[in-house]
Order: sequence, then structure tokens, then C-alpha cells
Amino acid sequence: MAVEIPKVSYTGKIKTIPIGDPSKGILVGGDEAYPFYGFEGALPNAPRIAMDVQDTPPEECAATIRELFSDVWDDPVAWAQKCIQEYGADMIDLELASTDPNGLDRSAEEAAEMVKKVADSIDVPLIVYGTANVEKDSDVLRMVCEVCEGRHLMVGPVQEGNYKKIGAAAIAYKHTVIANTPIDINLAKQLNILLGNLGVPDEQILIDPTTGGLGYGLEYTYSVMERIRMAAMVQQDEKLQLPMICNIGKEVWKTKEAKQTIEEAPELGDPTQRGVLMEAITAQDLLLAGANILILRHPETVKLVRSMIQELMG
Amino acid sequence: MAQYIYLTGENLNVISKTLGPAMKNKDPGPIREMAERETEAGVDFIDLNIGPARKGGPELMEWIVKTVQEVTDLPLFLDTSNVEAIEAGLKTYQPKKGKAIVNSIMARPQRMEALIPLAAKYDAGMVALLWGPEGMPRDTDERAMFVSELYMAATEAGIQPEDIYVDPIVTPVNVQQDQIPHCLGLYQVQQDLAPGTRSTNGLSNVSNGSPDHLRPILNQTFLMLLMHSGVQGAIVDAFDQPLHDIARGKMPELLELMGKVMDGEEIDMSKLSKEETDYVKTARVLLGHSLYSDSWLEL
Repeated sequence: MAVEIPKVSYTGKIKTIPIGDPSKGILVGGDEAYPFYGFEGALPNAPRIAMDVQDTPPEECAATIRELFSDVWDDPVAWAQKCIQEYGADMIDLELASTDPNGLDRSAEEAAEMVKKVADSIDVPLIVYGTANVEKDSDVLRMVCEVCEGRHLMVGPVQEGNYKKIGAAAIAYKHTVIANTPIDINLAKQLNILLGNLGVPDEQILIDPTTGGLGYGLEYTYSVMERIRMAAMVQQDEKLQLPMICNIGKEVWKTKEAKQTIEEAPELGDPTQRGVLMEAITAQDLLLAGANILILRHPETVKLVRSMIQELMG
Repeated sequence: MAQYIYLTGENLNVISKTLGPAMKNKDPGPIREMAERETEAGVDFIDLNIGPARKGGPELMEWIVKTVQEVTDLPLFLDTSNVEAIEAGLKTYQPKKGKAIVNSIMARPQRMEALIPLAAKYDAGMVALLWGPEGMPRDTDERAMFVSELYMAATEAGIQPEDIYVDPIVTPVNVQQDQIPHCLGLYQVQQDLAPGTRSTNGLSNVSNGSPDHLRPILNQTFLMLLMHSGVQGAIVDAFDQPLHDIARGKMPELLELMGKVMDGEEIDMSKLSKEETDYVKTARVLLGHSLYSDSWLEL
């Protein structure tokens, strides 16, 4: 008797979301099957890789990151160019670390000017992340939305505590919001409902389920993403039928293990390879859980992950 | 399906802002008043929850049982994890309209060994709480295993099945939605595994953490799903009138509608009132047909 391969019967699909300059026609999502299950349904848009750029030189960071980017350390425009030209980033994520109220506490106006400068200098889609401080992000990201009208940014993290203000600005100035909740499927659904009630169209929402890196909660993120994708595709949960974004570089490279030198942790092996593999394994797992956009930091990781995507997409 | 189930009032609780201090200071006024109000509200049992009571537990339980029995004849659930306090309460308790009930005995060897002999010795009932050695059960099967263990140990000790009140534990819908059908599922197999036993449920936990104004509809809907699953009683807010109406068979149409949702029948939502629509949506969330979010009624 012939073996019958089991097949999932999907009742929902992920919405297709345009990102960046509409004339370029860049799309994410549209998945009609589970991640890389191209044999079960159409996967029209391969996952995309963004590289992150810091708006201010990081105080503490892994030696390999410092070596690679120290020439562009204090110039986000040049840093973004390097990621695009040398490492082939599909998009750029600008991290507004300088706005942290517990750090430099740079003003919303200054931050927005910097975002505009970077947006003007690149022609790939731009993601902008605040510091996850609910009040400060509310001011900063609203200002970013206004100053960068027409740039079709993706801005986040938009949380339950500031979704109204940032969401309203995103509607007014036509940007996409990155809806962020703390690794919880019910809260993810709730925030999407709230954004919908506010009037943010589905085509302007990405889900950020909160990323835990390898050894730091990866399995929780994986499990919640998997459940979000199942709810969307086999349980017709319309509020979760949206692409997911994972901010991986930031999480992985801030860990102790990614920063320790060979002298500090000889048992963990070559520090560069260690950090790259921690980032690549996190990326690979979250792709399998349904990530549509990954934000990565190390060019070697980008290379590894890109080849994985190409092989699995066929 | 039961059309009339018993209710245990949950309001005599150490976490209350007035009753907690009254218990600490052994001030009988507020305790008596609450026991009287619960009795007037028409509950069948009163739960006396004194918390873990690590210090002075036996004296407190003895005192509160006496105090409450001065004003009500209703049987009492003795609710604490302190074994000595349970024994002190059982010793003091005077059966008027029924036995005292130990709340609760978990399916953990230590708890079973300590508490089952006490319930047997004092001719008391017991809540068989399906909490195992590793904590919360993961599904109906684990609950089934725990109910069998408790049933066997209790009946061997001489406790009658009708004095065993099985509670399969309900989890808050906003954190462990997937466990709710497993809780309901246990009642559906309970009589095969533990014939003649009764049942109960710590129902308010289902809405713990949900927005306050939405807790009543979650509790009420869950009670109806429990009744369809064969539950015989529940521990509830003694002053929630709609819960009383549901438990006493005064809402037959709504109860029937919930049965249809549970059986997966097609429901023509356009023919339902706003209120009925809300109950159907809530039942669908509790049964896991749609994913919980705080705004489930708005979808």
C-alpha cells in the first residue's frame, strides 16, 4: 500500500504587508503554509533580513562587532551604508539607544532628525526601534512618524501602554507599527484588537512577540510564535494573521556569553564564532517558528541565515 | 445534566480586608455577620478559608468553627493547608445539617497520608483536589489518574464515595485557556473512575486576572458549562445572584443554549439577543474554540 503523507489543512493565511517605498513593491507575509512547508501551500515572500545600526556608539560590546563597525561607529548613515553595500542587508533597523531616559536621554526631536537623515540616505526599508520605555518611546516614535512622513517606516516597540499615541501617528503619517507584547499569545491578540479598534489597518501591523535569544528564553519565544502561527492558519484567528518580526541581534549580542573574551571564557571557544553561532541558531529557530523579518547584527550570521533561507525556500 | 446544583459560599476568607483582621484579632462580629449573610443568600455550605495559618492555626480554626456554628446550621468546608488546624476544626465541629468537609486533600502522598485518616476518624467529607506530586495536572488523563488514587485511598480508609467532592482544578482563562476543556473533561469520566462521588469546583479562578467587569460573565458561563459536564456543586461568591439563578435551574433557555455550543451545534447568531451572543462568545472562548483576549466580546 502506498504511504500517504499527512497534510495540514489550512483555513487561514498570513496577510501580505507592503513595506518601505511602495514603488519598490517589497512585500512580507502572504504565507499559505507553515514556515518552509512550500510543499503544502504557497510561500510567496521569503523571510527578510535587516541589520541593526546603533544611533550612538555602544558602550559595551563584543570585540568582533567593534572591529567590524568601529570605522562607522559614530555615524549611523555610514553604518547603514556599510550594511547595505558590503553585507547586502535587505533592510536597516535603526536602534534609538541614545533616547534611553536612563542613558543619554536624547530628545525626540534629535532622534527624529537622525532617523530622517538615515531614511534619506538609503533606499531599502527602514525599521526604527525605541528603547521600550513606554513614555519616552511614545514621544520619540510619534515625532519620528511625523518628521518622516511618507517614508513608510516600521516603528516599534508599540506596547499596550503607548499604542494609542504611536498608533494614531502611524495612521496619520502612513507608517507600519510593530506591535510588541511580552511573550504571550493572548496579549498579542489583544494588542492587535486594540490597534484595529484605533483604526490602524491590518496592512500596517507587524507582530513582535518579544525575542529571547539562545539560553535566554528562546524556547518561550519559539513556543508562543508557533502557537500564534497555528492560531492564524488552522484556527482562523484573524487578529493573528500578520507577519512576525524578531529583533535578534540586540538580544543575542548583549548576553554575557556573546561578549566574553577567550581569556574570560576559554571553555566556550572562539568568541567570534561563539557569538555568530548563538545569533544564527536563534535566527534559525525563530524562522522555523514563523518569523518573517529578522534583525541581525553580525555579517557572518547574515550569510549563514541567508543561505539557510535560500536552501529551504528551494 | 444537573438542573439544580449546590453552592458553597467562598466569602469567609482570610484575604478579605475586614475578615482577615477579624480572624487575627478573634473578633467574632464580622465573622458572624458574614456567616449570617451567606446563609441568608441561600448557599448550601460555607467555606472557612483561614489561609495557610502557620501560626496559631488550630486555635484559629477551633474558634472560627465555633463562632460560625453559633449563627448557622449549614455544613462547613474547613479550608487550610495546616493539618493540625484541620484536626482542631473537625474536633470542634458539631454536625447539624451535615458533615464537615476537609478542603482539601491533594493527590500527593504526604497530604493523603496526613489528612485522609483525619477525615475518616471524624466522619467528615473531603474535597479531592486533583493536584499531583508535580503540581497542576496537564490534561484530563492526569486528572483521571489522580482521582483514582484519591478515591482508592479514601474509600480504603472507610470514607463513603458520597462524602468525596472531586475538584479537577480550573485555571485562569487568560493564562491557561487550553486547560479548561481538560477540567470539564474530568467530570465527564468521573463516575466511571470514582463511582458515587460528588463534585465541586473553585469556579472564580477561571476569571482570575481578567478585567473586573468581565468576570461575572466568565463565571456564569463557566458554571453552565460545568453543569453540562455533570458537576454537582461549586464554590462561588455567595452574593452573585445570577450564579444562584443558574445553579437553581432558573435560566433553562440560556443553559440549553450553552449545551448547544458545547455539542458543537450550528448556532444562528443573527437570531440571538446581545446578551445571548455574549454568552455564546464566552462559551466559545472557555471551550477553546477561539483564542482568549481581554476584548473577546468585541470580536
